[in-house]
Amino acid sequence: MCYVVCREININAVVVSPTSQHFLEIDERCTYPKCTVCLMYCPAEGSIVETDTGRSMVPPPPEAWTENQRWPRQP
Amino acid sequence: MHPILKNFLDKWVYPTGFTGSGVEFRLRQTERCLPLWDKLVGQAIEFAERDLKSGTAEYKAVRARAGYAAEGPFMSLKQMSTQILSVTVDEQSKYIDLQRMRARQIWDEVKHGQLHADVLLRGGFIKREEELMDDPRANTQPKLSYFGMTAMFPHIHPLARAGQHYYNESMACLGIAATLSVIDDDLVRHQLRSQEAEEMMHFMEGKYQIDAYALTPADQQPIEEVFDFLLRPWAPEPSRALGGSQ
Repeated sequence: MCYVVCREININAVVVSPTSQHFLEIDERCTYPKCTVCLMYCPAEGSIVETDTGRSMVPPPPEAWTENQRWPRQP
Repeated sequence: MHPILKNFLDKWVYPTGFTGSGVEFRLRQTERCLPLWDKLVGQAIEFAERDLKSGTAEYKAVRARAGYAAEGPFMSLKQMSTQILSVTVDEQSKYIDLQRMRARQIWDEVKHGQLHADVLLRGGFIKREEELMDDPRANTQPKLSYFGMTAMFPHIHPLARAGQHYYNESMACLGIAATLSVIDDDLVRHQLRSQEAEEMMHFMEGKYQIDAYALTPADQQPIEEVFDFLLRPWAPEPSRALGGSQ
């Protein structure tokens, strides 16, 4: 879901790793903490971790989905 | 409200990545779902406690046969392939990500059927999975709205399926969490633990579809009508829906 969401908002920071495991990776195009939208649709607890602190961001902590961090969605 | 439901809401339902009419619509529908979600948690705990008190292992086979009927290869392929058909060719570019997620769900559900077969095999209830083909208990399920109007989705709207994903798959998550809170049998726990991540994925599909795509009244109406149907008290009971008393 993080891949789908990130692509939907045209940031495309979630990519499939070229390694044999094909893990999803988040690259330098990610604008976190300005954008946190992928966190809200990730179904795998603990699978996205904040680099600086090591804390899990899934499920998202309340400060990650404050009003000013949500992505406006227009028809 | 049961703590299992509150935990689910706080972790997975209320965090929102977008603003807009899709989110507002989803949260309105969520309010409608809450009483039934809460009831489901209570019932799942009650059923699990009753199973444990039965004093035999047969409950594991009953659960697994019913699971196989609901998610075995036959049912999975039939119901999951129909959701692919809800997106017409000219809409594929708009909904290509939904198509990919829905295609993946065919595999997910068949795999769930395999998990149920594993319980029956490893529990010694059957010797070969093929035996299940001859057992009606492993091939029939009575729910009218099983997987939420599955056969109708191709005829409604590409986003109508989001109502099923949001309502039914959340109940799968809640039912698994409730059952795991009671039953500590290795076979049951292995099956449920293996399945729970997939159920969460499908719930998230519904959450995402509504938040991101259900932005106009025209897109919201068919989803709301699915909720209208699924929330009717007779929806899981075909005989009552068709005029019977049970």
